[in-house]
Amino acid sequence: MSLVDAPLAAGYTLGDFLLVAAAGFAVLAVGMLYRAVVGPTMQDRVLAVNVLGTNTVVILAILGAALGEPTFLDIALVYALLNFLMAIAISKFTVERGGVL
Amino acid sequence: MSGTGSGPGGDAETTSDGGFGRDRPQRSDGRLDSERRQGTPYTESQVIMPTVKIVAPFAFTYGLFVTFHGAGSPGGGFQGGAIVAAVVFMIAFAFGIEATRQWLANAAVVALAVGGTLVFAGIGLVPVALGGAFLQYELLPIPDPVKYGMEGVEILGIGTIVAGVLIGLFFVLAKGFSDAGGFGDGGAFDDEVGNEPDVGDGNESDDGESTGDDGNETRDDNGTDDGQSAAGATGPAATDGGER
Amino acid sequence: MTGAIAGVASGPLGAPVVAQVTAIEASLFVFVVLTALFTALARDVLAAVIIFGAYSLGMAALYTFYRAPDVAMTEAAISAGVTTVLLLLTLAKTTRIDHEAAFESVNLPAAGAVGLLFAGLMLTMADIPAVGSRDAPIWSNPDVSQWYIAQTYAETHVENTVMAVLAAFRGFDTFGEAVVVFAAGIAALIVLHREVFA
Repeated sequence: MSLVDAPLAAGYTLGDFLLVAAAGFAVLAVGMLYRAVVGPTMQDRVLAVNVLGTNTVVILAILGAALGEPTFLDIALVYALLNFLMAIAISKFTVERGGVL
Repeated sequence: MSGTGSGPGGDAETTSDGGFGRDRPQRSDGRLDSERRQGTPYTESQVIMPTVKIVAPFAFTYGLFVTFHGAGSPGGGFQGGAIVAAVVFMIAFAFGIEATRQWLANAAVVALAVGGTLVFAGIGLVPVALGGAFLQYELLPIPDPVKYGMEGVEILGIGTIVAGVLIGLFFVLAKGFSDAGGFGDGGAFDDEVGNEPDVGDGNESDDGESTGDDGNETRDDNGTDDGQSAAGATGPAATDGGER
Repeated sequence: MTGAIAGVASGPLGAPVVAQVTAIEASLFVFVVLTALFTALARDVLAAVIIFGAYSLGMAALYTFYRAPDVAMTEAAISAGVTTVLLLLTLAKTTRIDHEAAFESVNLPAAGAVGLLFAGLMLTMADIPAVGSRDAPIWSNPDVSQWYIAQTYAETHVENTVMAVLAAFRGFDTFGEAVVVFAAGIAALIVLHREVFA
């Protein structure tokens, strides 16, 4: 029995609470989507997508802990690395306006 | 840069940060300088370049890890090849696509894509030559043939194909549709320097310094399409052989 | 296996689908549907590309939640890293029109057709096995899925069943897939009238 399967309170395990936390982050992602959709300038959208990417990394890491699958951290790492690429690509595009480089 | 620093306090603050405005003359207020910075080509970012310098080796290593460790964890050649290609994208966005294009020769990209396909087909055809079926790993003349045959297909086959093709797509899309016309060799290399033929030499002599020139070329390429096509007719003869 | 997941996995087949959706699934579903909708509706192409990047974030989390880490990693690498960059490069080479309106006006006949298709698809939902059900044919088939899971290590000496299926059991399909990727690169060269990549 690993740590996440240990009963914590009222019959719920630590994994259940981690899943609830992940669900909370997923709800927050819907809120951040508002800025990505409405955002008057492109910089707002870039920031919103960047925050969404970080949020996704957190969700993936929590899921990896809650479901007892350490390999989920690999996906979180991929996202952490490529979210940076997405952010610099969009930001350079919006600053340069036309020619990317 | 606050942009509203018209008061004396804001002025003193913006002029005292020696890191970002070293080579510029003394400015009267920050607003003018921010507009001027918007006007200059945005090629060397003080944030992106050092960050990419730090991140790129780790991302490349991680791409190799995903490729090589596909047998024991999520991942494999397809994902790892895509990550390796993304590292090249990252470098290109930070240091300029033209500089990356000269660093990563066409021969390397084509060798990745074609070599991967040939290795995959070769690993599949060796058992056929030995009297078996296509991709019958048991007949490969190596120790633990099934495992290492699959690893070879994933790493040397799929990973290199995906990395090569994605990098190639990136370069081709960054270059855009050839205005020089047809399948001409000179147009394929030199259509961006059709306006002033001596820029290509300047690029080769000092790569790190002349990325600003690259930005200028790209903007000219977008802006003056008519002059581009007119110069492209005579451009290849004048600027051929200058690249590689 | 925690309680919330076990509730999904062992849910009775006849129960309504909605009752089996946990909180994290529901919020991720809402996120994915909203991003897909706004990708289609955004008037500015650059905004659509950015929102599409957000869509891939939600899809990767959803794939991960459904224990498909290989698919999630592909989604992460391709969608976040490659597709966005290639779409941006394509945008940089085309002209962008500044629109006044933020959203596309909806074509009502098209929306009606899509709604009919959606309703037709939803009618089939009652017959689809529950998520993670052990009676689903994709899992319980002893000749395909169970055989792969049981025989992967004995036959191929690798731990990842997905890679074993891709590279060994269905190796010829993967070869065709790799050739398709290679052909895509050549097709891009032909379309853009070029002979060299770099």
